[in-house]
Amino acid sequence: MAADGRRLGVRALLLEHADERDLTKLAEYEAVGGYSSLRKALGLDRGAIVEELLASNIRGRGGAGFPMGRKASFLPKPGESAKPIYLTVNADESEPGTFKDREILFRIPHALIEGTLITSYAIGAELAFIYLRGEYLREFEILRDALAEAHSAGYVGANVAGSSASATIVVHRGAGAYICGEETALLESLEGKRGQPRSKPPFPAISGVYASPTLINNVETVATVPDIVELGGAEYAELGVENSTGTRLFSLSGNVVNGGNYELELGTPLRTLVYDLGGGIPNGRELKAVIPGGSSVPVLAADEVDTPLDFDAMARAGTMLGSGAVIVIDDRCCMVQLGLRVAQFYMHESCGKCTPCREGTRWMVQILRKLEEGRAEQGELDLLLNVCDRILGNCLCPLGDAAAMPVASYVAKFRAEYQRHIDEGGCPFGGASSLAGVMAPVDQHHAHMRGQIQVPVHA
Amino acid sequence: MPDPDLVTVAVDGREIRVPKGTGMIETAAAAGIEIPVFCYEPRLGPPVGACRMCLCEVEGMPKLQAACTLTAQDGMELHTAQTSAKAAEGQRAVLEFILLNHPLDCPDCDKGGECPLQDLTFRWGPANTRMHFPKRTFDKPVPISPVIALDRERCILCYRCTRFSEGVSEDMQLVARNRGAQSIIATFEDEPYRAHFSGNVTELCPVGALLPATYRFRARPWEIDNVPTVCGLCPVGCNVWATTREGSVIRILSRNHPEVDDGWLCDKGRFTFDHLRAGDRIREPLLRVRRRGFDPVTHEAAAEAVARGLRDANGSVIVAFSGGETVEVATALARLVRGGLGSNAAILPDDLDPAVDAFRAPLAAIRDAELCLVLGDEPVVDRAPIVDLWLRTARRAGAEVVTVNPAGTIAVPPGSAPDVCADLLAEPPRDELRALSARLRGAGRVALVWSGDDHDAGRRAVALAASLELGDGSGLYVLPRTPNGRGVAAAWRSVDAGRAEEPSGDEEVGALWISGDEALYDPRVARLAERARFVIATSMFMGEHTLAADVVVPGTSYLERDGTVVNLEGRRQRQRRAVDPPFRDELEFLSLVGGRLALPIAPWPAEAPPAERAPLPERIQVATAPEPAATARRADAGRGLQLVTYRALFSGPGVERVEPLAFQRPLPEVEVSTGDARSLGITNGDPVSLRSNGTSRELRARVHRRLRAGVVRVASEHAVGLAERVEVTKA
Amino acid sequence: MPDGSLYDAIQEIAGQYPVRRSAIMPALHLAQEHYGGWLPPEAFRDVADALDLTPAYCQAVASFYDMYHLEPTGRHQIAVCTNVSCALVGAQEVVEAFERELGVGPGETTEDGAFTLRTFECLGGCGWAPVVAIDWRYCEPVTAGEVPGLVEDLRGR
Ligand SMILES: Cc1cc2nc3c(=O)[nH]c(=O)nc-3n(C[C@H](O)[C@H](O)[C@H](O)COP(=O)(O)O)c2cc1C
Ligand code: SF4
Ligand code: FES
Repeated sequence: MAADGRRLGVRALLLEHADERDLTKLAEYEAVGGYSSLRKALGLDRGAIVEELLASNIRGRGGAGFPMGRKASFLPKPGESAKPIYLTVNADESEPGTFKDREILFRIPHALIEGTLITSYAIGAELAFIYLRGEYLREFEILRDALAEAHSAGYVGANVAGSSASATIVVHRGAGAYICGEETALLESLEGKRGQPRSKPPFPAISGVYASPTLINNVETVATVPDIVELGGAEYAELGVENSTGTRLFSLSGNVVNGGNYELELGTPLRTLVYDLGGGIPNGRELKAVIPGGSSVPVLAADEVDTPLDFDAMARAGTMLGSGAVIVIDDRCCMVQLGLRVAQFYMHESCGKCTPCREGTRWMVQILRKLEEGRAEQGELDLLLNVCDRILGNCLCPLGDAAAMPVASYVAKFRAEYQRHIDEGGCPFGGASSLAGVMAPVDQHHAHMRGQIQVPVHA
Repeated sequence: MPDPDLVTVAVDGREIRVPKGTGMIETAAAAGIEIPVFCYEPRLGPPVGACRMCLCEVEGMPKLQAACTLTAQDGMELHTAQTSAKAAEGQRAVLEFILLNHPLDCPDCDKGGECPLQDLTFRWGPANTRMHFPKRTFDKPVPISPVIALDRERCILCYRCTRFSEGVSEDMQLVARNRGAQSIIATFEDEPYRAHFSGNVTELCPVGALLPATYRFRARPWEIDNVPTVCGLCPVGCNVWATTREGSVIRILSRNHPEVDDGWLCDKGRFTFDHLRAGDRIREPLLRVRRRGFDPVTHEAAAEAVARGLRDANGSVIVAFSGGETVEVATALARLVRGGLGSNAAILPDDLDPAVDAFRAPLAAIRDAELCLVLGDEPVVDRAPIVDLWLRTARRAGAEVVTVNPAGTIAVPPGSAPDVCADLLAEPPRDELRALSARLRGAGRVALVWSGDDHDAGRRAVALAASLELGDGSGLYVLPRTPNGRGVAAAWRSVDAGRAEEPSGDEEVGALWISGDEALYDPRVARLAERARFVIATSMFMGEHTLAADVVVPGTSYLERDGTVVNLEGRRQRQRRAVDPPFRDELEFLSLVGGRLALPIAPWPAEAPPAERAPLPERIQVATAPEPAATARRADAGRGLQLVTYRALFSGPGVERVEPLAFQRPLPEVEVSTGDARSLGITNGDPVSLRSNGTSRELRARVHRRLRAGVVRVASEHAVGLAERVEVTKA
Repeated sequence: MPDGSLYDAIQEIAGQYPVRRSAIMPALHLAQEHYGGWLPPEAFRDVADALDLTPAYCQAVASFYDMYHLEPTGRHQIAVCTNVSCALVGAQEVVEAFERELGVGPGETTEDGAFTLRTFECLGGCGWAPVVAIDWRYCEPVTAGEVPGLVEDLRGR
């Protein structure tokens, strides 16, 4: 419940009117007040907009949850920087379970464009990039068309909405690499390099793309900016709970009746999402576990389903809100197979730059496969935990942790199930697990990688 | 009062004061503490923090930090593995991950004994492996070029090599392919890594993954000696170690001189050493007996014949220098011929006006320049390779690099450097040069590089430098043609002038002394040889022109000499004998000849050699800059396209005898501008023929997008016989 | 694309960026289209030429990303997501249905060159799983039973 005793739940702010109208069309978007926040912002002092962002206390929706206003205030003030300032919108959405940015791109592209324009104006950027995951082809087309409309209407280009500000937006398509969602890898990729993270500091706010000050925010964060400007930061901060203000789009998936995106006030209990909105677990199965923030976060057991969807509550439960991707897991799922599949993903996506992640994720996969097949010895379960431990905190970027943390949590919360794989020499589900035999990309024939030496992962 | 720029840092409890911003690896080292690193190498640019070997604990930071990415801040407290259990565990973790897929083939590995990974494993490594899965396997070793072998199993993916290729030499040919655990180091489509500086990756690699193919299985570290010397193949004079085993040179390594080479070598310097063992090497003196035949004789007999030939020349003697001789040899020749026999005539490949030293600066100063202006048609990388790296460093640091040549940022007709120089001196300058002239005058630190043969001894560049008033932080770099051309010319001039007149026109020459193989290649020398009654050649190899000599004396390589060389900066450095020549060297022979002409010459360097790492001498003072000769503007007329040629780095008598370097030799190509290619209907790779004066050459076309229209460019060895204008047609 | 227009198209894209190298990804996308769905060595030479890079560099970049193909591919690309959310609700059955229908395994191309089948990491449609992308057009959800019909449709195209 919110501080004032309101019951938290569905609250359409971002997606307001999106069910009634085709908001991909500029006229429709304008008809419900679209681009009025932009006009309002252009009448404000740049610094005042950053103040509103600070007051709203909006935290980044991409995963790390860093307050947007604070990040923006790390940038040099417009005019104080010898180099141009850039805005980069992170639309690389690839964290398993996450598909909320896609909803925004698909249904309210103008909210993203408007947010991009306001944010650019606030930080003094004349060029903004939207780094869009390459697989999102339809979304690219929608965004491209919306941009063209916004351009013809005079919102994008020289003299934004008749003001003296100018803004160019370049949509940069990725090409399939999860790591490019990590902000510094994204910058490298945008600069035309292999998308490998950079060591920080320097932070992007000081030296980002082209070694210039750069603000990077997630699609949803940026698309929320028009609402914050419209409501005012303080009023926005009334939504949600302390430290987790506003609404968020939650992506619900897995063993649940009504998968999809739901806009909820932060602080809404996980149970409301899974049962009241999601319709609960299908086929009469039991809830076994929930991954509350994308595959990189520690798992919650069934009895933790009342945890509120807010940053602090999740931290107290030993996990994270991450990208807002809620994956529901029923009792048919083998947790060793889950560990293997998650580890395979991170191994596949490890960029290969730092040692612990590149070598450690591969080793995790090898051990987990052996466990899954029932060939592991007792010591190897502890070895797995120790390998996770040796990855944790030792990598260049958070991807290594993203592999180690969830897997370690599966072992911690479902240790008996791991133990049975050793004791019984095989999977207790006997092939009936929902994840049995899943073909992960690391295991398929990589014909598309030429000159590639086959690297056996499994014995 | 404490120095405001110094900060106090505690490393493992030891306090140390260092300048703020000093790298943590260096800070710890200053406190006497070694932090292990693999990927960290400051010469490759900013730290990347990739290998994670240097993890340390920093007071106030929850996670371990890669020390290589930290800089000293006041009050920082760093704990390395020696005092922090957490850091020690982090380091053991990283080492275990590194060794996970690394083969245990140290006994077979050429890096063994010189390998940082082996040393660290010995000190920190796990006693046994916990990894019981198959290691990554690859085909190995892969020859990524005839001179470099890559063992991908040993590679620890520190990315030093690829960072060098992308960020130092900027050839962008050695790259990482794929992602994550599938990553490998590779070249494009397994084509050879063909670039001027490729060999540096073998020194950068901290494990035995990249090794000189020429060194594989040649020696073990305890069997070798490393002799400190100076490369004698170009006017940079890089400092090197010559690794020897049982009297032969088996490897050349850099011996980092931070003002000269910053620890880099070009592939010519690194791989040419095998010419010492070339099959056609001359090993004993030869005396002409029949029209085309030679008999081997003793050095004494040869000296006798030479003394006779010189005496009979009656002062009509010409010495043709190679520019590679030591100062001592050049001085001895000058004493003999100039002082003793009274001849004034020499062919000096690099007779620069001493005034160039009025603007001298260490090569390293180029790095800090704001504006670099490079004039001349010879590619810097072919003439003085390391200078090219310094220019790239400057550009990465933000300098503007303006090149003025037919393919430059200002694309001018061939041979325009003198005109451009004159135009930049003019007030007001020509329209196209006005902006450049203003920037030159506005910039605080300017590096002026002259890269081409200047028949005015560098005076034009000096005049430009003088008019720009190049002060501290700026410098003039006139790139000589030959490695020690400056030292040789100075040595020749240091001996009192003789009396005799120079032979002129087509007069007969009494005697011609051809000193060294490079001189034998000079067409002027070949023409002189035809007019000479008596020809002496000191050379390493038999060649076309050696055959015209009356006496041939075996010559040494720079790796067999002891003496002084002067590089392009005017820096005197000591060349040391890495291996003994298999016969008496030039100085001993000159002493024998001198003895027979009553001109005493010491058979060894008489004066003290220059001190190691002596500072670059101060600039000289010149009252007035020498007046440059008026430029004779080239008439830009005639049929066909203008031909510009250049001497490729990988050419010359030594390189030509090293089989593994054959792939580096200039390709039989002609560079054609985009516009000309279009109008001639030529595309990349097409066979074309170049014709002039009845000579014709078949070459492959390479379209060059920056080359000036109307110009074609060919390496000189593929342009022999062609004139300044050529007809180009698709063959 | 007619001769030279790939070069020109890349120049146009490069003009959008403050630093031309940024155009390498769009350039590789274009080149892949130009060369019929994959990047032969020639494609890297073209992109390198247009952006003043080297073929090695372009190949290094391309090989980092999953959507660039360094080997010839089928006319139609089928990507089946097998990440957790899709796998929980039957993605593997969909993979197997495609295997049966096409007669090739994941990572392979049918002999007639019509199809390349791949399993893929999370495609971002988890709420409507299992997700299949056919030529990067998403089909959500796809059940194993629908696979023969999908393939049939594609064969016609
Ligand atoms: C491995 C990895 C993947 C990430 N992927 C994404 C992503 O797909 N989208 C995103 O917005 N942020 C992603 N992030 C977080 C970004 O690094 C960054 O924190 C975020 O874009 C900042 O925007 P925000 O503050 O608005 O959330 C990822 C981080 C990591 C470590
Ligand atoms: S080859 Fe050597 S230098 Fe290159 S990445 Fe591998 S270990 Fe590092
Ligand atoms: S030496 Fe610091 S990470 Fe490699």
